[in-house]
Amino acid sequence: MKNFGSLFAAWMVVWAVFFVYEVSVARRVARLREEIERLKQQLREG
Amino acid sequence: MSTARAAGILLAKELRLEFRTRELLTTTVIFALVVVVLFSYAFDPTAAESRRYGPGLLWIAFLFAGSLMLNPSFAREQSNDTLDALRMAPVSSFAILLGKMLANFIYMSLAEIVLVPVFAVLYNISLAGVVGRLILVLILGTLGLVITGTVFSAVSAHARMRELLLPLLLLPILAPLLIAAVEATASLLADPPELDRTWVAFLAGFDTVFLTASWLLCDYLVEE
Amino acid sequence: MKDTRSSMSGQLAGAVLVCALLFFAGYAALFIAPDERTMHEIQRIFYFHLPSWITSFSAFFVVFLANVAYIITRKPKWDWLGVAGAEVGVVCCTIGLITGPIWAHPVWGVWWTWDARLTTTFILWLLYITYLLLRGLLEDPERRASLSAIFGIFAFLDVPLVYMSNRLWRTQHPQPVIAGGQGSGLDPVMSKVLAICIFAVYGVMIILYHQRYALERLRHEYEELRFEVESRAADAASMGKGNR
Repeated sequence: MKNFGSLFAAWMVVWAVFFVYEVSVARRVARLREEIERLKQQLREG
Repeated sequence: MSTARAAGILLAKELRLEFRTRELLTTTVIFALVVVVLFSYAFDPTAAESRRYGPGLLWIAFLFAGSLMLNPSFAREQSNDTLDALRMAPVSSFAILLGKMLANFIYMSLAEIVLVPVFAVLYNISLAGVVGRLILVLILGTLGLVITGTVFSAVSAHARMRELLLPLLLLPILAPLLIAAVEATASLLADPPELDRTWVAFLAGFDTVFLTASWLLCDYLVEE
Repeated sequence: MKDTRSSMSGQLAGAVLVCALLFFAGYAALFIAPDERTMHEIQRIFYFHLPSWITSFSAFFVVFLANVAYIITRKPKWDWLGVAGAEVGVVCCTIGLITGPIWAHPVWGVWWTWDARLTTTFILWLLYITYLLLRGLLEDPERRASLSAIFGIFAFLDVPLVYMSNRLWRTQHPQPVIAGGQGSGLDPVMSKVLAICIFAVYGVMIILYHQRYALERLRHEYEELRFEVESRAADAASMGKGNR
């Protein structure tokens, strides 16, 4: 099992990078949705 | 008014403005000089090493000095909104861009006229017999720097942190120009000196590509 | 709230699909692919390294097309396509730039070499990060869109020049030849695994691209709403003054 450590590291990198990005996009979407609801509410009241 | 004539008039305006104070020119020359001297502290060049690293050093000094000097190109217009006045004049946006490019080219060339002999003296490099060909390489390299630099000066003029942004935008784009200019210069300083046609053609190609792109996109650069 | 919930589940579905695709590709690469003669385990990185580079370049190419389309049509959707593609492209490129050295070090003994392919990829990565930085520093949305499109076009035009200049340099200063890929005589099972992985990583890239595009569209909606709220507040204030 030569260099299995490096293979594992690379595999983890692939997962980590995609995962972190997916979470980043999801969080930004959630935050924006909140803000949009807040603004829509403001317009309804105003 | 034809583009060429408009560019000429605008060029004259730019030069008149700059030569009143000459601040851009002097700071550019001094900065490039400082970079050249600083390199001699970082590396201690013997004769053979000078020949090897000299060209790289020279062009890096030009790129750094250039990317700092190009900033005020469009930034200066912002304080009095003079760009709006220019836009309303019956000149094409390419004329405006061209006028600035030519002005920047002249400033860089003046700086180089001072720097190249100084560099040759400081690093004991003989330029005998290659001056004409060296000037060709310098012109082509400087054109590339000035064309892309003026465009990016227009791009970064509207951004925050524009002084830091311009070198950041410019230097990665100029990587191929740097290789070409350095290699062409190096082959001229080699023994026997020889003008490398491939690299010169590459430089000419680089300049053409980006000048064409500037021409196609000029309206969007100079607009509101 | 129905709108929010349905797109939330869309978001979740996308995330689940990404995981599934990566698991699928990983299984293929790690267990189905046969062992390579000289490099053994470490060669399997190739099944992710190559697809990450292909998808990154595809994303950047789409960004270029989007930039040109924006300049011509001025429709915001092309700007959204541009920024989404740049981010996703940078993500895939980052994976490529990290997995490359991880593979290279045990195999060649060096982490990095400045050959044409690697240098071009690195500069490509830098250029599109700069594209994103530039956007962050430009505030007015229209100006941001058009100026970043211009930079994007210049950046993409530069890429073949970077590659060419490096190749020209290499022919003049030959370095020990270090092959970047293992295209030479791929075993048929390996080819199939590679195809699976390319398909999977493309799938991941497209899903992420789609989600990032949706985010940008959402941001546009947010900015429009904010403008409306602010202009109503301004109207109310000025009307109040007028009545006095």
